[in-house]
Amino acid sequence: METIITRFVATLRKEGLRVSPGESLDAVCALAYGGLEGRESVRDLLRLTLVKSVADMPTFDWVFDHFFSPYPDGMGVDPADLLGEALANVEGMQMLGTNPEMINENLTLANVDAKFDLDDLKNPLALKEIGFDQLDGSEIHVQMKGVRGSLDAPRPTTMPCGEQPITVAFKPPLMAQKRDLTFSPQEVDEMDEAVSKMILRLKKDIRRVKNMENRGKIHVIRTIQKNYRNGMVPFQLALRRRRKQKPRLVVLCDVSFSVSHASKFMLLLLHTLHNRLMDVRSFIFNAELAEITEMLNTAPINTMLEQIDSGEIVDLDANSDYGKVLLSFKEKFLENLRGRPAVIFLGDARNNFNDANDWVLEQLREKAGYMLWLTPEDRALWKRGDCIIEKYSDWCDNVEMVKSVDELNQIVEDLFRNIYLEDEHRSRRRIERVEEEEYDYRDYYTRGSGMSTPTFDGARRFYW
Amino acid sequence: MITELKVKELLRSGGYIADEAIATAVFLALHMEKPILIEGPPGVGKTGLAKTLSSVLDFPLVRLQCYEGIDESKALYDWEYGKQLLYTQMLRTQLDNQLSSASDLSEAVDRLASEESLFFSQNFLVQRPVLRSFLSEKRSVLLIDEIDRSDDEFEALLLECLSDFQVSIPELGVLEANNKPLAILTSNGTRMISDALRRRCLYLYIDYPDEEREVQIVRARFPDVCDELAHQMVGFLRKARDLNLRKPPSVSEALDWAEVLSLLHVQKLTPEVVANTVGVISKHQADLEKVTDLAMEALG
Repeated sequence: METIITRFVATLRKEGLRVSPGESLDAVCALAYGGLEGRESVRDLLRLTLVKSVADMPTFDWVFDHFFSPYPDGMGVDPADLLGEALANVEGMQMLGTNPEMINENLTLANVDAKFDLDDLKNPLALKEIGFDQLDGSEIHVQMKGVRGSLDAPRPTTMPCGEQPITVAFKPPLMAQKRDLTFSPQEVDEMDEAVSKMILRLKKDIRRVKNMENRGKIHVIRTIQKNYRNGMVPFQLALRRRRKQKPRLVVLCDVSFSVSHASKFMLLLLHTLHNRLMDVRSFIFNAELAEITEMLNTAPINTMLEQIDSGEIVDLDANSDYGKVLLSFKEKFLENLRGRPAVIFLGDARNNFNDANDWVLEQLREKAGYMLWLTPEDRALWKRGDCIIEKYSDWCDNVEMVKSVDELNQIVEDLFRNIYLEDEHRSRRRIERVEEEEYDYRDYYTRGSGMSTPTFDGARRFYW
Repeated sequence: MITELKVKELLRSGGYIADEAIATAVFLALHMEKPILIEGPPGVGKTGLAKTLSSVLDFPLVRLQCYEGIDESKALYDWEYGKQLLYTQMLRTQLDNQLSSASDLSEAVDRLASEESLFFSQNFLVQRPVLRSFLSEKRSVLLIDEIDRSDDEFEALLLECLSDFQVSIPELGVLEANNKPLAILTSNGTRMISDALRRRCLYLYIDYPDEEREVQIVRARFPDVCDELAHQMVGFLRKARDLNLRKPPSVSEALDWAEVLSLLHVQKLTPEVVANTVGVISKHQADLEKVTDLAMEALG
């Protein structure tokens, strides 16, 4: 039975599930405890012990159906075999007077791993992978280790969009080409995972900093109240808490053809991010501006992209006009901006020689806590043609180039970290900086005195 | 030895209709002494399973509700500072007597140190839920509810408890469980639980039950709801779940609704009945309309 289970586990791993040796031991234990009445029962037992996430369940069912298929197509095993062996095992052990728990001792981890080796050798697939014919003994061993390693190792978390050539620059697609604007469920899942991890990291950092902030600021009255039962001896401190505030983010995203690849990923990121960490208001524009906040909250990403692509929301055939967009942003939304949001622009600032209207940015700058411009273009191209990013960048805190999803995620994470931590730190950091400037200790001792550098004598006493 | 069938019957006697997967999970958890991690949409009976198990197996239920910021002093154990302080005050004369005969300071310190263990003994230990269930006289059901609300530090803290059923207290050493509790962890999936914790548990996903089982659940709890009405109700709720509502009606809503309908002596569902009782099954302003529309369409 152990062999069958280890082979089954190996197959699961090949399909991308992460099953630890401990879990396969559990599975063997579970089967030994009985309850083996038919196929579905075995499926339940194995699923309970081997699968640890809902997302993996369909894969497990698929593997189970194929592995234990009654008409073996290569690797099929009849569940009856398993049942028979399990019963034999249990009976055998009862005869010997041992209980099923002893399996734990019989089947050590080393044992399990040794069996994988054998099974890998038996498995024609694995042999094909390493090119069995061309290798001699020792090399097989080495290669085998590699194969096993790659099976056991956690899958490298490839950045959000899987096999797509995402690290390549967002090249503007040919105008004639039909844009492929939808995402596969896998890509969406991966983005979801990446964002979840990002949020986890951020939360950890924020909590750490907040804990540090709290240190030493005692709420006297609450401390006394809390320690009343300890005779006012302050065993437990009550610290002052800051009012929790949800930072705000405003994103304006150019969806014209020239930046469509970058904006596509930006929209996916926004969709995943929406309202998980902060208040986000999102806008898209080409020649005109439209708010898509509500849509991000309700519609699935692909429907939204299709809708944008069809030109329903903003006319995609027009040339992008940043000046006009800024003007309409000022008229419609600028008054309502609250709480010093961080503002992100995504676009190449190619204005088609229209009015720049950069005075709007000046007003926006007063309302915004932070302003960031993201462009998919190289710095070298910024001064060429109709690009007016230099003009706009005067009002931005930062202008960044984004070439890949990796970079985009990194920049947004850094930004969030800044926004969250800035408020806590801003005042204090400024004071510290002033102090540093006023007291420059580098030549404090040598200033005005005849002595040069400090020395010390044998008795380790300093003198000047 | 309790078999799987027996588990199912036991749960049924407590009014909980379990499917194969649930029964198998409970059966395995009882015999392998491993915790069960239950995930699934809210209101499908994750917490209910623990409660029912505690009542039918006659194990006391120890419940730990997780929240953001929960830590070991709330979950495992805490020292009773006040009591320690009080005892020190009351024993002051005793201590004085003991120490006054000491010839010098270092001897006094030694004597005091030899009595130190008195003040960090189990007398002054407040048992929080996890430790309480470990040290209880009888095997208990330890319910760690909504673990996804806690922080990941707390999750890491639980690893030792759940894999070895022991609690390490720096001042006392390792306290092992007298009776390994039947541990049940529930999660609504608002946050990914770490792989380390998953590995230590049996993983059970409870989804919305199929129609037959849901009817059985309703009828087991409210026998006066007739079979026809129960089928109608459940069928309607199953349709409502496909509506992409903000808060889809769950089994707990089905039970609430059954109670309301039986109180109102309703024999048959009509759009009017649904419109009058819609607050029981949908809990969002935006959902109310969709559900009443569905009622017009499906029942009208």
